[in-house]
Amino acid sequence: MRLVRRRVAVGLGGCLLVAACGSGRSILDAGNEPVPTTTSPPSTTPVTAPPGQTLPSTIPTTTVVQTTTTTPLDSLPPCPVDALPTEGEPVQITFWHGFGTEIEQTLLALTEEYHASQDAVRVTLQNQGGYRQTIDKFFQSGQDSRPQLVSMPEYMLQQTADSSTVIPVGACIEASDYDTAAFLPGVLEAYRTSGVQWAMPFNVSDPVLYYNRRTFEAAGLDPDDPPLSIEELRATSQAIVDSGAARYGIAFDSGVDSGGGWFLEQWFAKAGELYADNGNGRLGRATRVLYSGPSGVELLSAVQSLIADGLAVYVGDNPNGQDALLKLADPVNAAAMTISSSGALGTVINVLDGGLIPNITSADLGIGPMPGPDGNPLALVGGASLYIVAEKGDAEAAAAWDYVQYLVDAQVQSKWAAATGYVPVREDATEVDPLRALYATDPRFLVAYDTVRAAPPNDPSALGPVVGPLREVRSATAGAVAAIFAGADVATSLAAAAQQSDALITDYNARN
Amino acid sequence: MTSDATTTYDSPSGWRAVGRYGLLVVVSAMVLFPVYTTVVAALKPGNKVLENPLIPDAFTLEVLGDAWTEGRLGRFLLNSLIVAVIITVAQVVTAVLSAYAFALLQFPGRTVLFVVFLATLLVPIEATLVVNRRTVDSLGWLNSYAGLTVPFLAAAFGTFLMRQVFLTLPRDLRDAAAIDGVGHLGFLRHVAVPLVRPTIGAMALFGFLGAFSQYLWPNLITTETDMYTVQSGLRQLSESRLDQPNLVMAGVIIAAVPIAVVLLIFQRQLVRGLTAGGVKG
Repeated sequence: MRLVRRRVAVGLGGCLLVAACGSGRSILDAGNEPVPTTTSPPSTTPVTAPPGQTLPSTIPTTTVVQTTTTTPLDSLPPCPVDALPTEGEPVQITFWHGFGTEIEQTLLALTEEYHASQDAVRVTLQNQGGYRQTIDKFFQSGQDSRPQLVSMPEYMLQQTADSSTVIPVGACIEASDYDTAAFLPGVLEAYRTSGVQWAMPFNVSDPVLYYNRRTFEAAGLDPDDPPLSIEELRATSQAIVDSGAARYGIAFDSGVDSGGGWFLEQWFAKAGELYADNGNGRLGRATRVLYSGPSGVELLSAVQSLIADGLAVYVGDNPNGQDALLKLADPVNAAAMTISSSGALGTVINVLDGGLIPNITSADLGIGPMPGPDGNPLALVGGASLYIVAEKGDAEAAAAWDYVQYLVDAQVQSKWAAATGYVPVREDATEVDPLRALYATDPRFLVAYDTVRAAPPNDPSALGPVVGPLREVRSATAGAVAAIFAGADVATSLAAAAQQSDALITDYNARN
Repeated sequence: MTSDATTTYDSPSGWRAVGRYGLLVVVSAMVLFPVYTTVVAALKPGNKVLENPLIPDAFTLEVLGDAWTEGRLGRFLLNSLIVAVIITVAQVVTAVLSAYAFALLQFPGRTVLFVVFLATLLVPIEATLVVNRRTVDSLGWLNSYAGLTVPFLAAAFGTFLMRQVFLTLPRDLRDAAAIDGVGHLGFLRHVAVPLVRPTIGAMALFGFLGAFSQYLWPNLITTETDMYTVQSGLRQLSESRLDQPNLVMAGVIIAAVPIAVVLLIFQRQLVRGLTAGGVKG
């Protein structure tokens, strides 16, 4: 009997190990992280600007071409907007996305409503299990195996545009005289490069400050006045740590799509500085990154000193995006604040309402703009957008365009944003319920909307970088940020990451 | 096992025994700790999971049911079982036939061919991944059992293992069979295979475990949720249910059950198969 029991235990242990091993990361993801060594890095001019001068003009601009290159629309695949048959069998299209279950449920419900509203198009949603898997599968597939519509995160703009696999949404907008007046200008502009509107924004998010209001109160701080600048962040953290209200002021991570990559781009936008040359790659193709200049060093030195002084805690590379948030719920060594995507807000509130976290309720959660240089409360457009896939048939392209128009309709965006916490892509979505009611009753959801709206749409620094290998560039910066948070020299680490990034961009540009 | 060894193990003396058992207890605790936390979390209702995570102070079977239905684990387990059984059977057949040829047939280039065969063991799946993905795509096999199984129908490790054990069969057996007019296939079926059954069992078990726990390949060539194997399904569950860690743990337990059952049934063969080549006889 004892023997049998031991066998069961050993067997179960063995298979749990096997099962655990099965859920590793995609090797394609991993394979994209190391920097190719086949290209020689371009000569990097050391930044010689005197300290204090932080404007882009201080950065050597030898490679900057200040003329806007535009691609004429008629050189791109046309959008056959009238090809949708009005009778007969509905056109079947497939839509690849990577949303988590809760958000997927909302999308499914909206798609059901779309089906009920018309008989010409039927959409099959196929969840690829995350943005990264969607990207990998899309680019690894032949055109026959690709869907008619695909959702891609914002950092894939240049690469998708260069892949000759999509019909630019701009062609559809033009062909059907679609009215974009109500759209948030920066949101639409974010997915435009070389004068072409490549994708239709669908789910917009940006990083916001999540904080524990009760800890603020315990530290004698005003919970309605979260820190906006890095200096205020330091003062707030100092007050929290000194009062003993929490062990740390703020939790930072070095994730590729959070603290290690995306946030850095956001910080540069807040500082009004370019992250890449040629107007963040929006005036012409980007040839190099600019983040290793004095302002990048100054910014990350400030964050590094927060960690070194015990005012902030570094939680690692945060692969699933929850480690930094969970640090707020740490029963012993909690942080009072962290920065995370606004797209998580709906889920976080649900979790807190579900009572999963014993010591925090959803009423304790405060949301503020992400603190950054100059306390500038603007944010770059993050999230994902919709691409109509080319060469899938005229009727299918027209069907995809019809569904896209439905998804960005004001009423649909109102429901979508209210259910998920995403920022709606158009202003009039906030004038109809349920979003109007939500923004009126819970201003926490309004923060991300306001910060996205605060970005001036004609300023390339506020539109974010368009860089071909931005995904790989983020991996390079994330490595540097991780080293910096662990105590490495800021200037050296950033310069090395910039050199890697420049090599990636040079290699990419040579291939595309 | 010799009688010496039995004496040593049955009546260990004093501190040595304490040390030995102490070490075993510590190592067992380390191995079983993740299993324990998984089970505890899976049997707790959602709002109790992070409160006293190591203490089973609440109990419900509901989470297991939820994981089964919401995670669609039934469908995914079925896919995994179909894939694992096809791969296992095919690997056994291909390994036995090729190993027999390498071990008992004389043909020109046999050694060279076998070395080339073994060399494929040195090529990790990651190296051929993208090319295989393209091939399977161009064959139209994405989202199909063919795409999930065909690349794994033959495995060099199986051939190697079977060849080693076929080499231990006395040459006289084959000669006797030949005199009786038994051909190669007849000899293989009636003499060789029955003699090496434990090794075949062990190989089948390894093949099954490997196929069942595959993650990378199935994940890469399935774009329709209906064709996900259980590992992809678990990944999806864990990524999409950040707020329900207990549901994910329950999913892990459900996914582990088939492996546990197979292991329990074949454990004896596994041990015997592994030690079969260990003693020169």
